[in-house]
Amino acid sequence: MNTKQLKKPTIKDIPQGRLGMWLLIAGEFVIFGGLMVSYLLYRIRYEEWAEMASHTNVILGATNTFVLLTSSYFVVKAHQAAQHKDSKKITMYISLTILCALIFLVVKITEYSQKLHHGFTFSGKELAASGKAIESSYWGFYFLMTGLHATHVVVGAIVLFIVMQGTRKGKNFHRIEIAGLYWHMVDLIWIFLFPLLYIAH
Amino acid sequence: MGTHKKHGFWHRYFFSLDHKDIGFQYLLTAMFMAAFGGFFVYVFRYNLAFGPSDIPLYGDLAAKQYNQLVTNHGAIMIFWVGMPILLAVIGNYLIPIMIGTDDMAFPTLNKISYWIFLLSCIVLLSGFLMPTGAFGGGWTMYPPLSVSDFGYNNPNTTFWSNFFTGNTFFLLAVALEFISMLMGGINFVVTTLNKRAKGMSLMRLPLVVWMVNIANLLFMFSVGPLIAGAFMLLMDILVGTGFFDAYRGGDPILWQHLFWFFGHPEVYVLLLPSIGAVGEIISTFSRKPLFGYKMVILMVIIAAILSLVVWAHHQFVSGIDPGAANIFSLLTIIISIPFAGMVLSYLGTLWKGNIRLEIPMLWALGMLATFTFFGGFTGLHLGSNVFDIYAHDTYFVIAHFHYTLFPTVFLGGFAAFYYWYPKFSGRMMNKTLGLIHFWGTFIFFNTIFIPLFWLGLQGQHRRIYNYSAWNDLLMQPEHIMARQIATVSLIFLLLFQFVFLFNFFYSLKKGKKASKNPWEANTLEWQTDSPPPHGNFDPYPVVQRWPYDYNHPEKELDYCPQTES
Amino acid sequence: MNIFPESISQIGSEMDKLFWIITAVVGIATVITLFLFIYPIVTRKRNKTKEEMYMVGNSHNKRKWVYIGMMLLFLGDMYILLKEHPIWESVEQTLPEPDFKIVIIGKQWMWNIIYPGPDGKLYTDDDVMAYNELHVPVNKVVHMDIKALDVVHSVFLPQARFKQDALPGRTITRWIKLNKTGEYDISCAEICGTGHSIMRGTMYVEDFNTWEKTMADIYKK
Ligand code: HEM
Ligand SMILES: [Cu+2]
Ligand SMILES: [Cu+2]
Repeated sequence: MNTKQLKKPTIKDIPQGRLGMWLLIAGEFVIFGGLMVSYLLYRIRYEEWAEMASHTNVILGATNTFVLLTSSYFVVKAHQAAQHKDSKKITMYISLTILCALIFLVVKITEYSQKLHHGFTFSGKELAASGKAIESSYWGFYFLMTGLHATHVVVGAIVLFIVMQGTRKGKNFHRIEIAGLYWHMVDLIWIFLFPLLYIAH
Repeated sequence: MGTHKKHGFWHRYFFSLDHKDIGFQYLLTAMFMAAFGGFFVYVFRYNLAFGPSDIPLYGDLAAKQYNQLVTNHGAIMIFWVGMPILLAVIGNYLIPIMIGTDDMAFPTLNKISYWIFLLSCIVLLSGFLMPTGAFGGGWTMYPPLSVSDFGYNNPNTTFWSNFFTGNTFFLLAVALEFISMLMGGINFVVTTLNKRAKGMSLMRLPLVVWMVNIANLLFMFSVGPLIAGAFMLLMDILVGTGFFDAYRGGDPILWQHLFWFFGHPEVYVLLLPSIGAVGEIISTFSRKPLFGYKMVILMVIIAAILSLVVWAHHQFVSGIDPGAANIFSLLTIIISIPFAGMVLSYLGTLWKGNIRLEIPMLWALGMLATFTFFGGFTGLHLGSNVFDIYAHDTYFVIAHFHYTLFPTVFLGGFAAFYYWYPKFSGRMMNKTLGLIHFWGTFIFFNTIFIPLFWLGLQGQHRRIYNYSAWNDLLMQPEHIMARQIATVSLIFLLLFQFVFLFNFFYSLKKGKKASKNPWEANTLEWQTDSPPPHGNFDPYPVVQRWPYDYNHPEKELDYCPQTES
Repeated sequence: MNIFPESISQIGSEMDKLFWIITAVVGIATVITLFLFIYPIVTRKRNKTKEEMYMVGNSHNKRKWVYIGMMLLFLGDMYILLKEHPIWESVEQTLPEPDFKIVIIGKQWMWNIIYPGPDGKLYTDDDVMAYNELHVPVNKVVHMDIKALDVVHSVFLPQARFKQDALPGRTITRWIKLNKTGEYDISCAEICGTGHSIMRGTMYVEDFNTWEKTMADIYKK
């Protein structure tokens, strides 16, 4: 007998993609949580770090916050469109989201090059050499946390793009919601990172 | 009957999406890694007992290699043997058939998890080929030692010369392994929640399914900070950041917190699936319901939550605040209580049972006994922060944690293996060989580690290549003798594993054919064919009762499958 | 066959006693549990009715023996904590007035000992550094500032039942008071690289007069 003919057993219909994504998001939050707690412990210990934090560019950071929040709004819109299986609208909103992601990355690269220009490098060797040993490791956290987050932005954008391509073939509309959940997580993590790293006092 | 077409070797072992095949792939990979872990321990124990030169099958051993072997032995046994066997094999093979479904929720993700796991094995072992040699700073990877030759500390290095080192490969391998297990864990939890058969309510799940899921959640919530820490350590090595460099504001103790916040729960991650399988076995072979099923689950959840707040008992003398150490000592000692509840429930299951001493039951009883009497109870010694001042980083600790981990991984693992072997191979294992294997392993396991307890109390500290610098304290004839007893026992223990290997492959071909339900057990996997067909059930089962109705007063037989109304 | 190496401090002897107290608590628990283990195995062939065997343990009343066991263990746990806490307080949370102070620095792979020099004060110009040899007076409170230069080490004095990690970038002050003269070991209990197993120092516990003479010799050099 063909197994496909059998009725699949299920006990409840929690969409399993959503459930899996929630778990993944929980896992990601613990990872970023570990980084943020480590950072906070140092930050409280060293006054020098507040001064370093004032070298971050709050305006660019705020711009990026705004960009990400906007992108989240587009994702919500895309989700609504997905409920109506409207692949044209989906394509539009997801494209806008990806555009936001690109803007985010461009701003990020600008920021990074500014930092490097001022001698604030990932390893902090230059600062350490100029006698600012403790200050130097601030930039390790800055680049690691924002870099890891930016990687998530890239991954999220790629995932959204693939899912969008799927819906254009008229398939898998529910995946918009799942990929969207992931995108909201990326956004939310930034909401935590921004005050931690940029706002000095 | 499943008449699916037979797939070839490559398909079955490399590309299959079937949870049973993937479980089997994990099993074979873990056995392969266990051979390395076992060989390493043989080499370095031989050195401790009989000296570093002319070790049979190896040659001469230098101090640096000693550290590398110890480090990789520990890491392999925990991450590449314990984790895959207890989480991935048990989870993959058993969860779908025990909850009555055809496969995992995300079969492709499952496949990818395995591939990442395999990659992590390869990365770890290639660490030995690096110009600097494999990583040798202890499986705990404490900085600054794990960074000291690289990164900022060594201006002659570049990113790539830092990359091709044992340290980087070790860290990468561990990170990959975590990612693989995280993905697997998500899969298990979603499968359990979403794909249960009709009637399989949460309170009808077999204990081992509960345990694997609690273990997975515990893993997910404890490993995050260490993954973050691993990124930080990796950056310290590769680009010379100063996260853990005390001279640049970093803090070596931070790593210890991140590591042990994961490291302590990790032992429970290993323990839970193992003790869950032992629970199934004890109930089946006592022909009695599992005593206090709900209480056991509750106790385990309590212990799992507590395990997140006891980590600093590994750091009593590492320079943390001594006041805080009191709290950690209290919590650590308290954690014995839920475990006592669990063990007593198991003993309640044995009480007045018609115990059948089949091979799986012997392993299960052996696991429970050694874990409780030597592993658990010496935990009280070490949980006391005062005694830990002396015992920390001595062989007392080594013996203690091997008395928890060896029963968990190997005694519990073998119990599960012998129990479910008929299901996955369709044949019975040879009983005489099983007996020989059990007693050989059980006896020699104890004679390895009891001398090590004593050596620890004598002040023998760990990760030492050669004790000749401690002529008066540790090189008396009785010390040398104790080391030799441990080593000779180890060699015997390893030899007895060949009996197992032989039995494994021999029974696969020549064993007696197994019926559907050779142990007369209740859970769903025993209601389908041995081995289960592709898709597992035909038709899908409908669950009528909980899994432990042995000797139910209203039933004729002394067991009553879950599908029976 | 002795269980512990000889103890050369009062605190150390108390810790050994604590070990036996814990072992006794655990021993009682072991005896009870062992009985619960063995009895059902020995009597496994006796006839039992199904009613007797169908023991689910789904009410508090039926689980009372488990609760009692947990309570007993709880009492044992509390007893252990009660006995250990005062020792911990005196070892780690108090610093009695020092009679003598030294600095001990772990370094790959040796112990650097800094003595205060003729002026009796540490961290002054006349401090004297010695390698792997620590001389301390008997029956006096000695403070040790524990540090490390490169990686984590751990000062382990087995006979004194003393251990403290030495960390780069930190100074941790601990005290010892030893009551027996003789030559004892200084081990490193934290893996610190290839030479971890040769990182041994010697501690000489001397009576006050001998010790003063030794110190004078050291300072002369
Ligand atoms: C086959 C029996 C085993 C024997 C005889 C054995 C023996 C040892 C010994 C003597 C050490 C200490 C080496 C030293 O400090 O110099 C050690 C370390 C260790 N073992 Fe085992 N072991 C066995 C199995 C296992 C298992 C099953 C696990 C875990 C699942 C395990 C995990 C570890 C760990 C984590 C370390 C610490 C490594 C380190 O210090 O970095 N071992 N083993
Ligand atoms: Cu622990
Ligand atoms: Cu050392």
